[in-house]
Amino acid sequence: MPENRRMVNTKLKESRPSKETTKENFGYPKFKEIDGSHPFKSAVPEAVVEYQVRSRHGGQVAFFNFELARELGLIPENHPPELTKELKEEILHTFSIVIINEYDLMNNFNFPKEEIRPKTYMATRYLQLQHPCKKGTTSGDGRSIWNGQITNKGKSYDVSSCGTGATKLSPACNINKKFYQTGDPTVSYGCGYSEKDEGLSSLFFSEVLAKNGLETERVLTIIEFPKGLAINVRVHENLLRPSHMFNHLKQNNLPTLKRVVDYYIERQIKNKVWKNVPTDPKSYYDYFLMKVVETFSQMSANFEDQYIFCWLDWDGDNILMDGGIIDYGSIRQFGLYHHEYRYDDVQRWSTSIKEQKQKARYIVQTFAQIVDYIKYEKKKSIDDFKNHHAMQTFDKRFLDYKSYNILVKIGFNAKYTEILLENCRKEVEDFRSDFTYFEMAKSVKGPKKVPDGINWNAIFCMRDILRELPQIFLSRGINGSVNQAEFLDIIKSSYATKADLKRSLRRDLKIKSFQKNYIKLINLVSKKTKEAPEKVLLDVSMRSSVINKYDRVTGDSISTIVEKVMSKKPKLSAEEIALILKEFTECQNLNPDKERRPSNFESQKEQSPIVKGMLQIVREFRDGI
Amino acid sequence: MKLVLYSGGDEEGNRFLNLRALELTHVTSPKLTFIPSSSHDAEDDFRFFVDEFSEFGIQRFMLFCVDTPYTKTILQEVLKSDLIFLGGGNTFYFLKHLKKAGMFEHFKKFLKRGGVLCGLSAGAIVFTPHVHTASFPHFDRDDNPFDMKNLSAMRLVNFEFFPHYKNSKRYDAELLRHSKKSKRPLYACPDGGGIIVEGDQITFSGKCSQFYQGKKLVLSQYKQA
Repeated sequence: MPENRRMVNTKLKESRPSKETTKENFGYPKFKEIDGSHPFKSAVPEAVVEYQVRSRHGGQVAFFNFELARELGLIPENHPPELTKELKEEILHTFSIVIINEYDLMNNFNFPKEEIRPKTYMATRYLQLQHPCKKGTTSGDGRSIWNGQITNKGKSYDVSSCGTGATKLSPACNINKKFYQTGDPTVSYGCGYSEKDEGLSSLFFSEVLAKNGLETERVLTIIEFPKGLAINVRVHENLLRPSHMFNHLKQNNLPTLKRVVDYYIERQIKNKVWKNVPTDPKSYYDYFLMKVVETFSQMSANFEDQYIFCWLDWDGDNILMDGGIIDYGSIRQFGLYHHEYRYDDVQRWSTSIKEQKQKARYIVQTFAQIVDYIKYEKKKSIDDFKNHHAMQTFDKRFLDYKSYNILVKIGFNAKYTEILLENCRKEVEDFRSDFTYFEMAKSVKGPKKVPDGINWNAIFCMRDILRELPQIFLSRGINGSVNQAEFLDIIKSSYATKADLKRSLRRDLKIKSFQKNYIKLINLVSKKTKEAPEKVLLDVSMRSSVINKYDRVTGDSISTIVEKVMSKKPKLSAEEIALILKEFTECQNLNPDKERRPSNFESQKEQSPIVKGMLQIVREFRDGI
Repeated sequence: MKLVLYSGGDEEGNRFLNLRALELTHVTSPKLTFIPSSSHDAEDDFRFFVDEFSEFGIQRFMLFCVDTPYTKTILQEVLKSDLIFLGGGNTFYFLKHLKKAGMFEHFKKFLKRGGVLCGLSAGAIVFTPHVHTASFPHFDRDDNPFDMKNLSAMRLVNFEFFPHYKNSKRYDAELLRHSKKSKRPLYACPDGGGIIVEGDQITFSGKCSQFYQGKKLVLSQYKQA
């Protein structure tokens, strides 16, 4: 029966024997911890809106992340990647829920008592720029609720679900000044539902990025409903965002702001993410600020260098407090440095990838304001923190991470990287400057409309030159070089036209300088380590072949892959998706230090046909957005 | 023409063939290129290749994948190598991409100018006139994912090559059956074994067998150093 019809027609009935009693037999006890309980509710009650929830019927488990579930202790370590009847029932019982919202209450909808869960679930309040009220009094989780917190091996994780009904914190609700019935077809985002393709996009993207060492939310399960709808359940160690604090700052609500900040700090300590936190109150918050500076400088440098487009803005939404990625709807990974790309959000254009740093910096500035406010109980203007020492530290650390990242990208191992950062800063900066020159080059064709925004194509693929150059140096000898035509031939992307590849005196000089500075770094390591330059080059070459692999996912490739998975006939089962995901993410693991399989130069593993198809898509879109 | 056909196996087992292959280059510091059968996991295979040959003091290595786009510059560097080593894997997939990339002609020119061409398992089968030996026996064969009909290969030698051979009745039955239909001798080599071709001279390493016109002949082992 369609979900909305069921809701309208259902009236309160006398209790039937509770299904809770049969749940005891399922044998997955950890699931019971996920019942809406969350310490944030009691720590800062005014920062959440609590909802009663009821069972939502008609759902099927479209995906379950066995690996993540093992990490969370939801299933035993030795549990096979198999969705048993009991496990399926447990997943559905735990996550197939919908809130009883204000619309339901106003219209006196009565639901069978046995379907209403004993505990409430929270929607959290946070600042969102798309809300008319710019103070965050009405904004927050518009179609999500937090299922709870789960602890395993001394670490706690937040669990939240998207698509569990329309809350009063959605933009639609506040712009139109009315409550919406969950599933109302007249509003899209505000209807409280989410879709299966959103879940799958988040799944494939987040698993690839997590495999490559980035902090991100991860998808635990996807429960699908008719018409492509789904509940997408996500997990992260801490799902708080800066915007969970910024709303209270904007409202000048010091007590609440302080409680949210304290909650976050205590959680980081409890999870052993932060150690040796000072106990005296002032240093306590300074430590917090220092950690924020570190996190956001590293995150923004990493996003820039890995071409991750994440729409950061003053509201501190779209990013987690620990720099983790959340809400994959607007996340992209570019194949090239498409620094002019902007997403068209109808009412506004997004920031571009190179503006992200400034937005991250502004978020840090806001935290400097928060810490000062908490310490001195008087709110100063944000402008007073323009030259705060935290901003200087941010700028410095950002550059440190940029230097570190370029060395890692080249293929220097940890030891070589440390040597260069400690002793040869200028040389590293010189190379980075040459690298940036080519990375920033744009097509002479100018800006172009793309399906979801605007772009001005970058033309050079830096991964290609970093992968091929050490091989050529090894082949030709350390003093051999690549001529200008060869260099451009290697570095050109599929976006480069003949006109884009025109040589100029400046470009020719940069090509020479790029190679001269590259070899300089190799020789410096060689000198410091007393290893032959060829040996250093060989190590760099091997690492670079992994880091700068020819095929790397982009946002467009993920969207196309999801379409392929969605349209697969017969439909892929949850286990099949899990298997494909594992195979796919392994292929996209670009960590040169990952565990290696034994080899005798004989490719033993054959990819499944669907993964082969997916990798073909990755290849096709490798230069894109 | 200098060819080394490896059956398979581990580093220790192939040490002799590795040494012979390097000797055939007649270069003190040769440049080696590894061509994997597929770009998937190629970096892992390459690392092992480097580990195995750097033991002999080699420092110049290249990785070249035929199933991903490449530039003329890289290809030219590859062809300037002293030794090119084709890895193992799915023979049909490898054959398809070697042909698509026009590598056969490049390899022939490479051999003509004195380069050493090595191949392991699938990488060695492609040296022979066709790759039929990859499609049997039914219990140990490669999938033909593209259902390729034209199985002709490089024709560098006038024999067939069967890698990973195990001296057992069921292998022999299949190989004997095949040899009755084939006009050429088939050399079956166990892991660690192989064939060295230098001009007109063929030498065998390991306990290899010849299957020809319905008969099996165990070949005497090459005297190992």
